[in-house]
Amino acid sequence: MAFPHRPDAPELPDFSMLKRLARDQLIYLLEQLPGKKDLFIEADLMSPLDRIANVSILKQHEVDKLYKVENKPALSSSEQLCFLVRPRIKNMRYIASLVNADKLAGRTRKYKVIFSPQKFYACEMVLEEEGIYGDVSCDEWAFSLLPLDVDLLSMELPEFFRDYFLEGDQRWINTVAQALHLLSTLYGPFPYCYGIGRCAKMSHELWRNLEEEEDGETKGRRPEIGHIFLLDRDMDFVTALCSQVVYEGLVDDTFRIKCGSVDFGPEVTSSDKSLKVLLNAEDKVFNEIRNEHFSNVFGFLSQKARNLQAQYDRRRGMDIKQMKNFVSQELKGLKQEHRLLSLRRFQLEGRDYVSSPSILSADIGACESIMKKKTKQDFQELIKTEHALLEGFNIRESTNYIEEHIDRQVSPIESLRLMCLLSITENGLIPKDYRSLKTQYLQRASLHFLQSYGPEHLLTFSNLRRAGLLTEQAPGDTLTAVESKVSKLVTDKAAGKITDAFSSLAKRSNFRAISKKLNLIPRVDGEYDLKVPRDMAYVFSGAYVPLSCRIIEQVLERRSWQGLDEVVRLLNCSELAFTDMTKEDKASSESLRLILVVFLGGCTFSEISALRFLGREKGYRFIFLTTAVTNSARLMEAMSEVKA
Amino acid sequence: MRLTSARLCVGRKYELYSMDWDLQEELRDCLVAAASYGGPIALLRNPWKKEKAASIRPVLEIYSASGMPLASMLWKSGPVVSLGWSAEEELLCVQEDGVVLVYGLHGDFRRHFSMGNEVLQNRVLDARIFHTEFGSGVAILTGAHRFTLSANVGDLKLRRMPEVPGLQSAPSCWTTLCQDRVAHVLLAVGPDLYLLDHAACSAVTLPGLAPGVSSFLQMAVSFTYRHLALFTDTGYIWMGTASLKEKLCEFNCNIRAPPKQMVWCSRPRSKERAVVVAWERRLMVVGDAPESIQYPWRAAKDSYLVPELDGVRIFSRSTHEFLHEVPVASEEIFKIASMAPGALLLEAQKEYEKESQKADEYLREIQELGQLTQAVQQCIEAAGHEHWPDMQKSLLRAASFGKCFLDRFPPDSFVRMCQDLRVLNAVRDYHIGIPLTYSQYKQLTIQVLLDRLVLRRLYPLAIQICEYLRLPEVQGVSRILAHWACYKVQQKDVSDEDVARAINQKLGDTPGVSYSDIAARAYGCGRTELAIKLLEYEPRSGEQVPLLLKMKRSKLALSKAIESGDTDLVFTVLLHLKNELNRGDFFMTLRNQPMALSLYRQFCKHQELETLKDLYNQDDNHQELGSFHIRASYAAEERIEGRVAALQTAADAFYKAKNEFAAKATEDQMRLLRLQRRLEDELGGQFLDLSLHDTVTTLILGGQNKRAEQLARDFRIPDKRLWWLKLTALAHLEDWEELEKFSKSKKSPIGYLPFVEICMKQHNKYEAKKYASRVGPEQKVKALLLVGDVAQAADVAIEHRNEAEMSLVLSHCTGATDGATADKIQRARAQAQKK
Repeated sequence: MAFPHRPDAPELPDFSMLKRLARDQLIYLLEQLPGKKDLFIEADLMSPLDRIANVSILKQHEVDKLYKVENKPALSSSEQLCFLVRPRIKNMRYIASLVNADKLAGRTRKYKVIFSPQKFYACEMVLEEEGIYGDVSCDEWAFSLLPLDVDLLSMELPEFFRDYFLEGDQRWINTVAQALHLLSTLYGPFPYCYGIGRCAKMSHELWRNLEEEEDGETKGRRPEIGHIFLLDRDMDFVTALCSQVVYEGLVDDTFRIKCGSVDFGPEVTSSDKSLKVLLNAEDKVFNEIRNEHFSNVFGFLSQKARNLQAQYDRRRGMDIKQMKNFVSQELKGLKQEHRLLSLRRFQLEGRDYVSSPSILSADIGACESIMKKKTKQDFQELIKTEHALLEGFNIRESTNYIEEHIDRQVSPIESLRLMCLLSITENGLIPKDYRSLKTQYLQRASLHFLQSYGPEHLLTFSNLRRAGLLTEQAPGDTLTAVESKVSKLVTDKAAGKITDAFSSLAKRSNFRAISKKLNLIPRVDGEYDLKVPRDMAYVFSGAYVPLSCRIIEQVLERRSWQGLDEVVRLLNCSELAFTDMTKEDKASSESLRLILVVFLGGCTFSEISALRFLGREKGYRFIFLTTAVTNSARLMEAMSEVKA
Repeated sequence: MRLTSARLCVGRKYELYSMDWDLQEELRDCLVAAASYGGPIALLRNPWKKEKAASIRPVLEIYSASGMPLASMLWKSGPVVSLGWSAEEELLCVQEDGVVLVYGLHGDFRRHFSMGNEVLQNRVLDARIFHTEFGSGVAILTGAHRFTLSANVGDLKLRRMPEVPGLQSAPSCWTTLCQDRVAHVLLAVGPDLYLLDHAACSAVTLPGLAPGVSSFLQMAVSFTYRHLALFTDTGYIWMGTASLKEKLCEFNCNIRAPPKQMVWCSRPRSKERAVVVAWERRLMVVGDAPESIQYPWRAAKDSYLVPELDGVRIFSRSTHEFLHEVPVASEEIFKIASMAPGALLLEAQKEYEKESQKADEYLREIQELGQLTQAVQQCIEAAGHEHWPDMQKSLLRAASFGKCFLDRFPPDSFVRMCQDLRVLNAVRDYHIGIPLTYSQYKQLTIQVLLDRLVLRRLYPLAIQICEYLRLPEVQGVSRILAHWACYKVQQKDVSDEDVARAINQKLGDTPGVSYSDIAARAYGCGRTELAIKLLEYEPRSGEQVPLLLKMKRSKLALSKAIESGDTDLVFTVLLHLKNELNRGDFFMTLRNQPMALSLYRQFCKHQELETLKDLYNQDDNHQELGSFHIRASYAAEERIEGRVAALQTAADAFYKAKNEFAAKATEDQMRLLRLQRRLEDELGGQFLDLSLHDTVTTLILGGQNKRAEQLARDFRIPDKRLWWLKLTALAHLEDWEELEKFSKSKKSPIGYLPFVEICMKQHNKYEAKKYASRVGPEQKVKALLLVGDVAQAADVAIEHRNEAEMSLVLSHCTGATDGATADKIQRARAQAQKK
C-alpha cells in the first residue's frame, strides 16, 4: 500500500525555516520587554505557539507565568504583562478591562500587546477609545505560516472563512498577500500563477504590488516552486461538505485534528489518560495510511502488527553482540511504533470507524457492540444519501432521510450540513416545478430544524443563505432590493475592482452542470477498487471527484484556463492566470513540477489526499497552503449563530 | 601660473572663467555672498551704506560662478546687513531687524524666520553665516554688543551668548569657531580676545603672539575650523590652531591698513599653511616663510575671496580664478627637472608619441627602480587635480601608456578617474558654472552634486550624468525626473492637462518615482485638479489616499483605499468621512462601497450596535434588520415583554423583506415564548428558551401528555416527528407500558423499527422483541438482527429471496451457534442461483 512517490518526484523545499523565522522574531519581541513578565496567550494561538516555541524557550526569555486570555480577571502579580493575541476587538476590550482595573487600583505596570499575524487599525482605535492607548505598547508578530507537515502550511486563521465569505471583511487578504510575499522571498518567485475566485484575484493583486515595491530582492533568484494555484473556498463548497472517508480526514471528522495533532481520549487509548499524538509524515505508519480509504486501513494495520511481531521475534536467534545492537538501535523504534500502532488499531476497533457516525463520537466508550453494528448501518446510509445527492437521484428519499435525521435529533451540525449539500447540489438546472418541490422540502426541513434546535438558528439560515450555502427560496426571491443592487454594482465594469462577498448572493451553484462538464461523477462499471484507486474519486469511495482538485488538474494539464470558459462561467468566479516570463526560463524542470496550492477559506484532508494522489500519478508534488484545515463541521460551525 | 618664492611654495593659480556679467557697480559697493563648492554668487547693491537715496530700491542679483545670471529682483524688504549661502544653496539675507529671509537659487522666496526679540530691539550690527556639520548657522552681533546665534537654520534654536564684561563698543573683529560640535564666538576688543561659548565668556591669549599689539583688525578661521589666523594693527599675522593652544607660524607684512578679507588657503591634511589677505588694491599670500607673494595683480583691486576646501577662489568684475596649494602628485610631476616616477612616465609617453626611442629609456629607468605602479598612480592622481582637459588628457594618456607595461594593475582607479573627470568637466562648463575641484567633488559626493544640478534645473545634464555613471534608477534618473516633475507643476501658465501629460510621458512607469509626492507638490502650489490628475498615475492606490484626504476628496480617497486592498487604510478614511459628513451622507457613501460597508459593519457589531441598526435602516435592508432584532431578542433583552417586542419588530422586518418563512418562524417563536411563560407559571420548572421540540419533550417527561399533544397540534408538528419525539421521551423514562400504549394508539407513521432500536438502546431486549414482530417486511431482517434473533432473520431473508439481506444475516453469523443458520442461507443462495 502507501504508494511510493515516483522516483523522479521533485524534492520538497525545506519549510522548517519558517518556524525558525517565527521563533526568532518572537524571541526578539519578548526581549523588547526586558525582565520577568507574565505572558497572556489567546486560546487560538496556543497550539500554533506550541509548534514554534515550547515553554522552556519562553522561560529562557524571562516569561514567568503563562495565562490564557479569557474573560476573567487576571491574577498575575507580575510587573510586566505581555499579551499575545489575534487582532480582535474582543481581546482589546479584555486588555482594556485589565489595564483600567489596575489604574483604579492605583497600580502601574508595563503592558505590551503582540498582535499576530498583524495589528489592525480598528484594534488600536478600540484601545484609544478605552483610554489605554498610551499605556500599552503594540507590536506585531508576523507569524502567518505554520508548517504543519512537510507539504502543508497553515495560516491557522479559521476566522478567515467567516470574515471573508460571510461578512465580506477583506482584512485578511493582506495577510495572505504578505504570506505569499514571504514565500517568494524565501523560495524564489513563482513563474506560473493560476487562480480562481475573487479573493484569489485580490490576494494575487496585493501580492504583486508587494513584489513590485520590493523589486530587486527576488530578482535573479531561481524559482524553487514552479506553480502557484490560488483557490477560493466558495467555488467548491460541495467537497468540503462531504463526509470524509480517507483515514486522515476521518480522524479529523471524528477527533478534530488540531494544529497537526490529535487528542485521543481514554476510550481510544484504553487507559485513563488521554494521549496527544502528532500526526505528520515523520510518523511512518501514519504516513502510510493517511491517504488511504478507511476500508483498507484495518487490514494494513493488522499486517503491520504481524510484521512487527516477527521483528520482535528475531531476537531469539541472535548472539549477544547482535542482541546488543538490536536493543540499542531497533528496539526503541519498534517499541514506539508498536505503541502507536496498537493505538491506531484501537481507534479503528474501538470506534469501528466504518461505523460510528461522527455525531455520536463523543461517547465511544459507552458504545455497545450492537449499537456499533447499528450505527455501522447508519454511516453507510449517510454515505449513500450523500452519494445520491451528489449524483442527483432519489431526491425525495434523500430529503426524507434528512428529515428523519432531524427528527432523531442526532446532531444539528450534521443536519445542517446535509441540508446545505442538498441545496447546493440541487441548485440550478432542474425544471421549475421540481425546483419548487425542492424549495418546499428545504423549507420544511428548515422549519423542522428551527423547531428542533431553537429559533436563533434563523440567523444561521440567514448566514448560510448569504454565503450561498443554503438558499431555501426560488432564486428570484432570494435577493432583496439592496442585495441585487449590490450585485449589480459588482458586475458593473467600473466597479469591477470593488470586490465584495455579497456577490455570492447572486451566485447559483450550478453544481449539476459543472459536474457533468468536468465529469465529477465517475461512471461505475463494476466495483471501484479502493485498494488500487484509478482516480481522485477514491477519496469519496469512488463516487465523486472533488471539484476543487479536478479544476487544478485540468488547469495544470492545459497550463491555462483555455477550454474551461464554460466551467468558469458556471462557477460564476473570475479566473486568473499569470505567467512571469522573466522567471520562466530560470526554472528547472524539477521546480516546475512543484505546485503550491493555496486554499483561501480552508481545505480538507480529503482534498489534500486527492491531490497527493494526483501528484503521484503525474509526477508532480503538491504543497498546500491553507488559511486553516477545515471540514464540514467546522464550516457549519462557522456559519452558526449560537446563544452566547 | 605657478607662484613660488624663496621658501614658500604656496601653490598655483588658474583662471576658471572670464566673467562677462556686466556689473553696473563696483563689487566693493555691494553686499557679496558666494557659496563654497563652486556655488552661486549673490550681489545686493547696497544703498544703505551710503546713507543716501534710501528711496532707491536696490537690486538683488544672483549669478552662477561663471557669471551667468540666475535671478534678479528688486529688493522690497528692509535693509540687509549680511548675505550668505546655506549648505543647501539657499540664500540667507539677514535684515537689520533680525529677520532672515530665505531665497532659492532662482530668487524664489522660500521662508523667513526671526532671530528673536532681543535682536529686533537692538538691531543687527553685523551677521555671519557659518557652516557646521549640522548645517548652516547664523551668528548675529546686535547693537547692544551681544551675540545671538543659531547653529542650524533648518532646526532653528536661538542661543543668546553670554555678555562680554565691560564691553562698551563693537568688537574690532569676530568670528565663529566650531569645536567639539559646538559653535563658539571669538571676538577681539582692543588687545584682548574673548571666547564665548553658550555658558561663559573667557578671556584668551594667543601663544607666542608678538608684543606691541593694541588691536586685532581681522581674523580668519580655516574651512575645516582647524586653523585660525589673526591680523593685528602692527601688520603682523599670527597663525595657529583654532584651539588657540599652539602657534604654527607668524608673518610680518608691514601693512597696517585693515585688510578687506583674509582667508585660509590650504588643503586638508597638508602641512603647508598659507593665508590670503586682500586689501582694496592689494593681494598677498603669506605663510610659513619670511617672504610673501605679492600678487602681481593688475586687477587686484575690487576682488572677492571665497574660501574653499582646498584653496581660495578669487573673483573680480572680469575674472574668476582659483588659487590653491599644488597637490603632491602634481608637484612631483611638474617640478622643474623632477625625477619622480610620474614625471618620467609623462616624459616617456611624450617621447613615445614623437616616436622617439627615448621613450624606452625613460620607461626602463622607471622599471629599473620598480616604480612603474607608483608612476601610473601618480599620473592618474595628478590628472584629477588638473583643470584643463588637455592636461588631464596627457596625464591620463601617460597613465594608460604605463599601464600597458604592468601585468596586474587594477583598472578601477583609472576608469573611475576618467569618469569623474568627465563629470567634472561637464559641470565646470561655462554654461553650468560649477567650478568644482576633484577634492571638493569627492567631499561633496555625486548625490549632492546631482541635487545641486537639480536645484539649478539642469535636469538633462543630471540625467545624462546618472546614465553615464550607471547609477541605480531609484537614486539617479527617477529621483531627478521626480524633481523635474515637481518643478513642472509650478509652471502656472501651462494647463493642468498638458502638465499632467508631459509628466506622465517623461516619467512613465519609472520605478521609484512617486506620483503622489509630485501631486502633493502640485497641491502645495494650489493646483488641486492637477494633483488629482497626477494621482491617477500613481500605481499604488494606497499612496494616493493621504493626499486625497488632505485635499478633502474623501469619497475619492475611499474608493482608492478600497482599491489598495488595505483595510486599515479604508478604516482610516471611514473615520475621516464619519467626522466630515453628516450621518445620512456618511451612510449614503457607505452604501455605494460594499467593501467599506462590510468593514464598518464588522466594527459596529462589536463596538456600536445602534449604528449597525441605523445602517440597516438606511439601506432598507429588512432582512438584516430582522436578524438584528432576532439577535437582540435573546442577547440584549431580559424581560419577556421586551423579547416578544423585539421579535415582533423582527417579524415585521421579515415581512418587509418578503421573507415570509422567517416572519412566520419568528411569529411562532413569539407564540412559543408566551406559552412557555404560561407553562412556567402553571407548572413551574424551566421552559423558557427551549426549542419547540424540547418543550414538548419536557412536557412528556413531566407526564403532561395532554399539554404536549395540544402544543404539537398548535404548532402543527408533523406526525412523524411527534412519534419520534414521544418514542424517545418515553424510552428515556423507561415507561414501557405507556410506550406500548402509544405504539398501539394508531399505526406508526415511522414504522416500528425505531421502536426496536430505541429499546435496544435502553438494553431492553424483551420490549424490543415485542416490536420486532410488528416491523414491516422490508425492515424485518434488520429488526430481527437487532434483537439478536439470527435464525429467524435468516428465515425471513430466505423467504424474501433477497440477496442483500441474506449476506447481511450471514455477516452476523458468528461462532458455532449460528453455524446451522449460515449453512441454511448458503443452501438457499445456491438454490436461488440455480434458478
